[in-house]
Order: sequence, then C-alpha cells, then structure tokens
Amino acid sequence: MKKLLGVALGVLTAIGGFLDIGDLVTNAVVGSRFGLSLAWVVVVGIVGICLFAQMSGRVAAVSGRATFEIIRERLGPRAAGANLVASLLITVLTLTAEIGGVALALQLASSVEPRLWIPVAALGVWIVIWRAKFSIMENVTGLVGLALVVFAVSVFLLDPDWSELGHQALQPRVPASEDHATYWYYAIALFGAAMTPYEVFFFSSGAVEERWTAKDIGQSRINVLIGFPLGGLLSVAIAACAAIVFLPAQVQVDSLSQIVLPVALAGGKLALAVVIVGIVAATFGAALETGLSTGYTLAQFLGWSWGKFRRPASGARFHLTMIVALVAAVGILMTSVDPIKVTEFSVVFSAIALPLTYLPILVVANDREYMGAHVNGRVTNAFGLVYLVIVLVASVAAIPLMMWTGAGA
Amino acid sequence: MSRVRRRALPFPADEPREELPPPEGLVLDARLHLLDRQVLDVDGRPVATVDDLELTTPDGGEHVDGGDDAVVRALLSGPVLGTRIFGGRPPVSRWHRIGWPDVVEVGTVMRLGVRGDGLDVLWVERWIRDHVVGRIPGGRHDPE
Repeated sequence: MKKLLGVALGVLTAIGGFLDIGDLVTNAVVGSRFGLSLAWVVVVGIVGICLFAQMSGRVAAVSGRATFEIIRERLGPRAAGANLVASLLITVLTLTAEIGGVALALQLASSVEPRLWIPVAALGVWIVIWRAKFSIMENVTGLVGLALVVFAVSVFLLDPDWSELGHQALQPRVPASEDHATYWYYAIALFGAAMTPYEVFFFSSGAVEERWTAKDIGQSRINVLIGFPLGGLLSVAIAACAAIVFLPAQVQVDSLSQIVLPVALAGGKLALAVVIVGIVAATFGAALETGLSTGYTLAQFLGWSWGKFRRPASGARFHLTMIVALVAAVGILMTSVDPIKVTEFSVVFSAIALPLTYLPILVVANDREYMGAHVNGRVTNAFGLVYLVIVLVASVAAIPLMMWTGAGA
Repeated sequence: MSRVRRRALPFPADEPREELPPPEGLVLDARLHLLDRQVLDVDGRPVATVDDLELTTPDGGEHVDGGDDAVVRALLSGPVLGTRIFGGRPPVSRWHRIGWPDVVEVGTVMRLGVRGDGLDVLWVERWIRDHVVGRIPGGRHDPE
C-alpha cells in the first residue's frame, strides 16, 4: 500500500511539475494562431522528453554521476566548457522567465505591479533552495501545480465544436492566415518547450539528491512514462482553450491575462482562482528547478561539492552560484523586459542547445563502464537515434527560421 | 615536469612502432581514465575534477614531452583548467596539487584516502564557506 502511494505521489508530482511558463505561453500562443494543428509536436516532444529523462535518470541512478560530470568527462574541457556556457545562459534565461511568470501570476491575483513582486518571488525561491528539503520542495510544488487540470476541465465547459478541434489535431494544416515558415518556427518552439535541457540537468541531479540506485529505475520509469504524457495532455488542453476562444476572433495571445481568460470564461471566478494558484505553483516550481540547475551544471563541470541534501556550508560555491543566478534574473526583469517575450526566446534557444546535452547522455547510456547491465536496450536505442536526428534538425533549423520569420511575428 | 594534453600527439602519427608485449594487470590511459574525472574524498564528498596531471620521470626529475617513462606525481586542479582550455601554462607556484599517493581508487570516479578539508584545492570553497555562505542565517543547518 505504501509503495502504491509512493508511485501515485511520483506520478502526480510528475504531472504537476511538467508544466512551466514555457509550456503555458507557447501552447497558448500556438493555440490562438494555429488551433490544434501543432498538437502533433507536443506528442513528439513528450515522447522525446520521456526518452531523454528516463535515460539520464537511469545513468544517474546506476553510476551516481549527474549529467554535467558526464559531459565534462566525455567531451573534455573545451567542448564541455562551450556547452556549459550555452547551457548556463539558457538556464538563467529560463529562470528569468519563470520568476517573471510567478510575478505576473501574482499580479493577476493582486493587481500589484509585477516589478514589486519580482524581488519577493526571487527571495521566496532562494529561501526554499536554501532551507527546504528536496523531496518536500518537489512534492508540494508538483501537487499544487495539479490545479492546472482546470485547463482540461475548461475545454469541456467551453462546449467546443469537437469535430472541428479533432479535425485540426488529426489533419494538421497551416491556417490560411499564417506563413509556412512561421508554422515551423512555432513547431520548434513547442518542441523546445517540451524538451528543455534544464529538465534533464534537474532530473539527473535530483536522482543523485534522492540517492536513487538501480532499484529505483522501475519507479522512475513509471513516473516519467505516465506523468509526463498526462502533463503533455494539459499542454494540449491549454492550446485547445486558446484555440476555442481566440482563433475564431483572430486575437493573438501576448499576455498572461489572455492565457487564463478562457478558464475564466468557462468557470468564472472560482476557476480563475484555481488556475492562478496552479500557475504560481508551476512557475515557482520551475524557478526552483532552473535555479538549482544553474548550481548543478557549474558545480558538476568544476567538480565542486553540490546538492541540497548537504547543508549550504558544505556546498558553499554551489549555493553562491545560485544566489548570483537569482540576482542576475531579478536584474534582467527589473529592466521592464516582458517575461512573456523572454519565455518565447528561451524555448527556441532550448531547442537550439538541445543536441549538446542529448548526445553525451545517449553515448553514456550505452557505456558498460558506467552502466554495467543497465545499458540501453535496442528499442530505446532505436528511439534514441530517431530523436537524435529530430533534435539536430530542430537545432539547425531554429536560427534561420527565427531570422526569416522575425521570431514568429 | 610536464603535463598531459589531450590534443598533443607524443609521436608522429606514421611512426613505425615495435611490437610490445601484452601488458600485465590493469592498464590506465591517462587521457581516458584520469583526466576530467570527478575526485571524491574519503567521505565521498566531491573535491575537484582532474584538470591536469603532473608528470615526472621515475627518479623524480623533470619529465619532457614525448620522452621516456613518466610517473604521475599529482593530480592538478584549479587555474590549470584555464590553460588547458586556452593554452599556455601557469607558474608552478599556482598549481593546486593532490598527491598521487592519496589516490586509493580509480574507476568512473577517483577516490582519495584523505579528507578533502585539508587539501589546497579546496581553499576557495573554504573561503566562501567561512566568509559568505556560512555567515548567512541557516547556512550551517541541515535542510528541513
């Protein structure tokens, strides 16, 4: 019974923890412009992140080595150093977007200007990183994040034309009002939102934090293979809400208040309150994950002592790194940059940098020195190679498409 | 004394080589099995990553690149990482050494037989602990 509860808890936190500001914004923007015609990308992204997270979790559980230690060891200091710089920049960008998301959600709830909420949100993130236990942090934000299920409920309450939605999803077509290049640009953005590199740094380091061993691989597989697809279903629900309300009106989503509007239309004030709680939990949780990831990547590259299971004094440089990252994120947000715009860029840059982390994990997951009997099976490797191609194509195509379409304008 | 570089070839690529007898026991390739590995102390706490190696000849003299037998005298970490990435060589006085006799196990990580606290390579960690992180309230308590 206790084991069953453990599995249920793991799955629920995986669902609630799956969504972050990148998924919220990108899905809503895509839904308002392309309907469900890009829903297939979410499916591709979910299978990819399941594969990727599962591999990196398994590597960490079996070898006790987290992702960036392996990247350094495999690529040497130069290539891994370049990789580190790129990964850190994107993770700080994502951290900035998440803290901005927390502030925007709190603004919706309170009408207090986001610039007053930004330092409060960052301080909250820091206190949790500084003092809270890893498992509590994961479970609380994951479970409260489940409030985002209200997006799925709203799809039903809005009473849409189901055949039209099904038609958009199953026979995808570029809407007449949009360009083909823009369509593919947003396809890459959605893919990047589902497969952000920080999720993998966090997942593998988390496995070390929670002292996983080969015995825990089964549990982690269930969490990932059930939790992430259900989280992905919520992504599609967000896109569907935007498609139902905004696509016919030709309104383009560019603020958080528009993202939650369909929920308010469907379920009134109560649903609005629930969705705000869900967004605060999801973005706060993701801010914790990205904040920790900045410390994880740098500490693992340089061989420092790291981990939340230690007291901060035993991981001094690790904790100092995260403080600096949070200060940097607050500094960027205080320039009044729009967090929604930061988010849109962060997901595309995630897609660009993805091969840098994906390839070393794929290689090490096949290395018997690290993995012993737990190397990738044939099916995993077949999927792994297909995704290697997808990840590379998305990465190479992203920048030309960004320039061609003016970042999807 | 010299240090191992991944990129430098110690011999011309087309050099004819004599047949060597098969090695006895475990053979470690310095570039493959030592460089860029995580170093843990006797309590399993991360200490550093092996950024470079200090090599000498068996009798303790300075080892010349591509010369005869070399002995690993110490693992290096810290500022030498910069020179491994960008080239050059820091002065010997700036090297942070972990003596080879302290290494007790070489695997996917290298384990030391001593505690990390006394080692030179951790001075930055100790400084930040004593002057910054340890002074913030809660910094010396276990997470709750």
